[in-house]
Amino acid sequence: MSTTHAETVDGALPHEPEKATLEGRNKVLSFWLFLGGEAVLFGTLFATFLALRNQTNEGPTAGELFQLPMTAAATLILLVSSLTSVFAVQAMHRHKVAALRVWLMITVLLGLGFLGLEIYEFAEYVRAEKFGMTTSAFSSAFYTLVGFHGAHVAFGVLWISVLIGQLYKKGLTVVTAPKVYVSAMYWHFIDVVWVFIFTVVYLLGKVG
Amino acid sequence: MSTADHQANHDVVKHSERHEGPQKHIIVFIFSIILTAIAFAAVSAGGVNAAFTVILLLVMAVLQVLVQLGYWMHLKDRGHLMPILFMIGGFFVAGTAIVTALYWVWW
Amino acid sequence: MAHAHSVKRHKGLMDWLTTVDHKKIAILYLLAGGLFFGIGGIEAVLIRLQLIKPMNDFVSAQTFNELITMHGTTMIFLGVMPVIFALMNAVIPLQIGARDVAFPFLNSLGFWTFLFGGILLNLSWIMGGAPDAGWTAYTPLSTTTYSTTHGVDFYTVGLQIAGLGTLIGGINFLATIITMRAPGMSFMRMPMFTWTSFITSAMILFAFPAITVGLVLLSFDRILGANFFEVANGGNPVLWQHIFWIFGHPEVYILILPAFGVISEVIPTFARKRLFGYSSMVFATILIAFLGFMVWAHHMFTTGLGPVANALFSIATMLIAVPTGIKIFNWLFTMWGGQIRFTSPNLFAIGFIPTFVMGGVTGVMLASAPADFQFHDTYFVVAHFHYVIVGGLVSGLLSGLHYWWPKMFGRMLNESLGKLSFWFFIIGFHLTFFVQHFLGLMGMQRRVFTYLPNQGFDTLNMVSTIGAILMGIGILIFLINAIVTATKPKGVADDPWEDGRTLEWAIPSPPPEYNFKQIPLVRGIDALWKEKMAGNKGMTPAEPLGPIHMPSPTILPFVMSVGIFIAGLGFMFSKEQFSNSFMSLIFNNWIVVIIGLLITFGSMLLRSLYDDHGWHIEVDELDEEGVKA
Repeated sequence: MSTTHAETVDGALPHEPEKATLEGRNKVLSFWLFLGGEAVLFGTLFATFLALRNQTNEGPTAGELFQLPMTAAATLILLVSSLTSVFAVQAMHRHKVAALRVWLMITVLLGLGFLGLEIYEFAEYVRAEKFGMTTSAFSSAFYTLVGFHGAHVAFGVLWISVLIGQLYKKGLTVVTAPKVYVSAMYWHFIDVVWVFIFTVVYLLGKVG
Repeated sequence: MSTADHQANHDVVKHSERHEGPQKHIIVFIFSIILTAIAFAAVSAGGVNAAFTVILLLVMAVLQVLVQLGYWMHLKDRGHLMPILFMIGGFFVAGTAIVTALYWVWW
Repeated sequence: MAHAHSVKRHKGLMDWLTTVDHKKIAILYLLAGGLFFGIGGIEAVLIRLQLIKPMNDFVSAQTFNELITMHGTTMIFLGVMPVIFALMNAVIPLQIGARDVAFPFLNSLGFWTFLFGGILLNLSWIMGGAPDAGWTAYTPLSTTTYSTTHGVDFYTVGLQIAGLGTLIGGINFLATIITMRAPGMSFMRMPMFTWTSFITSAMILFAFPAITVGLVLLSFDRILGANFFEVANGGNPVLWQHIFWIFGHPEVYILILPAFGVISEVIPTFARKRLFGYSSMVFATILIAFLGFMVWAHHMFTTGLGPVANALFSIATMLIAVPTGIKIFNWLFTMWGGQIRFTSPNLFAIGFIPTFVMGGVTGVMLASAPADFQFHDTYFVVAHFHYVIVGGLVSGLLSGLHYWWPKMFGRMLNESLGKLSFWFFIIGFHLTFFVQHFLGLMGMQRRVFTYLPNQGFDTLNMVSTIGAILMGIGILIFLINAIVTATKPKGVADDPWEDGRTLEWAIPSPPPEYNFKQIPLVRGIDALWKEKMAGNKGMTPAEPLGPIHMPSPTILPFVMSVGIFIAGLGFMFSKEQFSNSFMSLIFNNWIVVIIGLLITFGSMLLRSLYDDHGWHIEVDELDEEGVKA
């Protein structure tokens, strides 16, 4: 992290390399459009969950299931990872490729930690609470909403890992920069969705 | 590396001194942590009026999301008119679906 | 940055599988759309033949259910959507003065995922039975309790894949229109077809994710045993209706808006007049899109939402008549005092107006909740939506196809055959569907495979079936026209209708693969017309002549779509009891799904790892071809 790896940086790279080319600007813009669509996707999943949240079919209820310390830990992990991906983009704007890679790696590790917690949580529900996909309408809606978010995290982890590899091989260029920027947008969006998940699913589930 | 390239690189370094620092983002982070803590505390403490808690939780969540969209995703920066329009559109349709599910689905 | 990359140029079939050229993708969309439109049309004729007389046994009740389901699903998702995308691909980059769309790779990916989704859905006919729960797939009819074949699984998975393609296409066109417009072309100078396509793409972006979720929920219920719509375990069928129509109502506006755009191009061209009320047209389009998301529950008046909700959705629905009326009057005022030429595209456009008005009027009737309790699920509804979708949308698409055919293929369609097909189509159409209003008012139920004699239904059903056959003949004449035209030599003028107003008529027909040798400078609405009126020979270039950067052809989108197709099949049959142990090994252990996903994600990885530098067309090559700017 101490060296700036100037050799991997084109000297003429602009301040915001992700917006240096039309392709780059198109990518960033279209990713925003895509996130608009993702908002509807998660909105519909939230709608489904909210409609079915009390239909527990004599299975476990939200109040019985959820352990707030675990949710708080997952929340903290994801929030920190969102901050580290901000730092990654800031490092990119300073053309510090090594720092950029380190911040991305920390983001990936935190993402893996979040996934680990979630998998453990789901496994516990199935094992100890007999709370599976088929238990009730509430369980189906819970696993689908939270699982969709988890799948997004998993895809993000894979995606950012591939980008780290590309940064080693190709360095920071006007081609790789938009990819990094867009993946950071994706990661923030996952965090934004999680804010609503911990609020609506876990905390409101506890309130009842 | 040629002299011209070196000069360009130097300019970039100089330019980077004018980059925004991490302070603003750390403030956003702390703000988010506080909002999250309030939400968790309100629920774990219990005893608070349920309707009030629901409103409090939703306000905390919306605030946190707005701050993160604005600062971490740069929606408050210039040149983000289209992203803002399309995010509003997405949230609007999502909100429609949610209101529907809450008030127009019955058994 | 002189990337002197040589490009592998493919020939024949490989050229079409690997193309990223929007003009070739347009032709692919047209071919695929034509194929599915043909299948849907045959299904329509079979439905009408079954209903030609009372107590007919031409097809069984089960087959009839499959036919109506597949007719609706195929026509909406696989028939008219790709023809719309064909026109958008063929025309929009040309109208905005761009060399290609924003994402040529995604453009190709969108097409192939759409095609493989459509193929998957239609495989149901030969793999154990088509979906039979209606195109709306209402639960509980579509749950495993009442729909025991794999039909509805083909519906959920096939539409999921096809919908993904549509979503990709929508985002691509949004980005293209936002960022790729030629210098001088502000939003308020864009041609109306570009405007309506822009709004349609935005609606696709916001509507398709809802059906994505709906289809996920239904397939989880059917395949994984989830309980979203299983009332016994706490599920709720009303939820499905809401999710379906939150998508479904915007979807019908997604379909009709591009047709409005086509009409707004054709009528000014053949009236030799500027479009009346351009700004109000733009405003009306946006308003229709907004209201389109606010009225879905008018499909559910009889579900029992209660008087307050029903009243609100009634009023919102009736409001849509206002912006639509603005459009109708603008078209009429455009023709008023113009030098109208009754060419085949203009015939379809002029036929569109009264037909669509009739569909709109019955729409306002249906919007009245108390009346809807009477109309609901009768042939009155069938007549209404066929008036807007066939008489409106399909007329609009046929108008657009006749209009832009020379630009797409370099050959004029035969005018006499075009006019003949118009008269067969429009007369056949009104014969088929006008009488269905009265069948509905007399109480004939939709989606029922036969009816008893002597209820007053017999003659009108006979008339309707004869009309359907005439309409079919009209479409066949269009097909013959297309085939005959394909055998003629190319070589129409840049502006074959002679009164072209927009940028696509400033370049050769068909355009070279880079479209514009030099990006044009736009100086007003109807950019080309403005130059013509100023006495200029063509557009003023906005850039000096230089090498043109082109994207490389690639097979990856095709491979990715094959992967999704395999994964979809694997998911559908994951819980199937196979007699063959190998089949049960690979399906029941998700191996097929994993292989499919590996193919798709592997291709994505390849795309990400190997940068596409594209290739350049050099200036001397441009000169050799001797193309005008």
